[in-house]
Amino acid sequence: MDHEALAMEMRGLREQVTGVTDTAVAAADGLLIAADTAEDIDPEGLAAIAAAGLGLARRTAEATGRGTLHQTVAQGSHGCAAVYAVGESALMVVLGDEGVDMDRLHEETRPALTRIGSILSAPETVPAVSAVTGAGPEAV
Amino acid sequence: MSDRRISLDRAGYGLLSRTLAECGREEATGELRVCGRPGGAFHLRGGLVVAVESPGAPGPEALLLRSGRISGEQWDGLLREPGAGRWPEAGLIAHGYAGAAQLRVVRMSALQDAVFAVVVGRVEGVRPLTAPSGAGPLAPVALGESPLRLLQEATRKLTALAALPWPVLPDRERPVPVPGADRDDPRLPPVRRDLLTHADGRRTARDLAFLTGRGVYPVTVEIARMLAEGLLQCADVPPTVLPVPVRVPSAGALLPLRREEPVAGEQQPERAGRPVRREQPVRLGELVRLGEPVPPERIARPDHPVQPDDAPPPPPPDRPPRQLPRRRPGASGITETLAAAHREASWKGFFRLRNRIWTPDSGT
Repeated sequence: MDHEALAMEMRGLREQVTGVTDTAVAAADGLLIAADTAEDIDPEGLAAIAAAGLGLARRTAEATGRGTLHQTVAQGSHGCAAVYAVGESALMVVLGDEGVDMDRLHEETRPALTRIGSILSAPETVPAVSAVTGAGPEAV
Repeated sequence: MSDRRISLDRAGYGLLSRTLAECGREEATGELRVCGRPGGAFHLRGGLVVAVESPGAPGPEALLLRSGRISGEQWDGLLREPGAGRWPEAGLIAHGYAGAAQLRVVRMSALQDAVFAVVVGRVEGVRPLTAPSGAGPLAPVALGESPLRLLQEATRKLTALAALPWPVLPDRERPVPVPGADRDDPRLPPVRRDLLTHADGRRTARDLAFLTGRGVYPVTVEIARMLAEGLLQCADVPPTVLPVPVRVPSAGALLPLRREEPVAGEQQPERAGRPVRREQPVRLGELVRLGEPVPPERIARPDHPVQPDDAPPPPPPDRPPRQLPRRRPGASGITETLAAAHREASWKGFFRLRNRIWTPDSGT
């Protein structure tokens, strides 16, 4: 897996969408893979909660005939926590403050999910860009 | 950063001011969406701007809630009152949480702050005026403002910001306190103490404005002054080109993720009539934690993977295929009741048991 590409995707989302404060990528079973979170957030706990919430939302959508689940969003008075499935095997959680434009967030996140999915499923034999001597971050 | 200068996005500003002037001349009513970063929406009534919302500036609700003037519970209580709508102004005044004049100031300052956020950012396009959408703006001002006057006020603020010794853009700099800065120094004004507390190198002036419940313009100006006075500092390198640290969790590498893929030729019917899926372990890799320095020996490289001292626990050999969760006898912790059930031979005992072990998820 190309760690640097994954980190760039996550950080890119935070910088592209105004109001996104933290992101984390976890396996579907709740194990953290990567975190771009502030100090006051426990990324491991966030990953576990996100996996549980996504599983529950999936089952809810399935049991009530709502079709394929797009995302689940918890909205609080100080912002939102959106959880997106990355294929069948992983998920991404995005935290935003009150200002985040949800339509824009979903719009920007969808292509990023596809890219993150291919980064996660890339075979391990492909070396990360950072591991190749002389390669720079521009090759991401 | 090498070039700290800030300047107006002239093309975008020109487009915005032309469109708004046209709306003003035609005394238009509706919503004007501005695309860009952060972008926003101008709500017009009779050619005057009654509300502006932008992801780049805290709205009236965020100003009230984040500043601690009102708690989330109090706000929820107000929204539940009949006729409260999304902006419970009458309830706020009736409960004494805020005065009418104070709320007028909050609404107007949020409006002007949002215009500043739109103008100081990048305007990529302005969509044609549309009819007021759905519920309309959250908290419109009673008497609208002239759009051009609002734009002039925003450019005046931008000019003032650009003239500071250390100009700052609301969404560019991510300051961090200088080492030794005392965030609890009682001589510092509250806004500076707040900014020193929350500035962590990840948050921009805009993020800090939301977090502290203050306008984005005053927070940006305060950050610019604190940078100039040496209370805050900015990393010279933009965060996007910083090296990405990779950390292996202390417990060793992550357990492999199991991906479920159907295996041709080995399909066996299960109870629900679906084929059984065999799980194939897929190694996803190690934990990546951004912004956290790591010792070099812990940096994992795919060509030289870090071998943890203690081997990761082996995955369970055969997990049950994906299916509806089934309750195992004893999983609920009421095994003694179940054990008693075997001794009960009559129907009466069955119904007694059913009533005793019923749980919301038992499916009965």
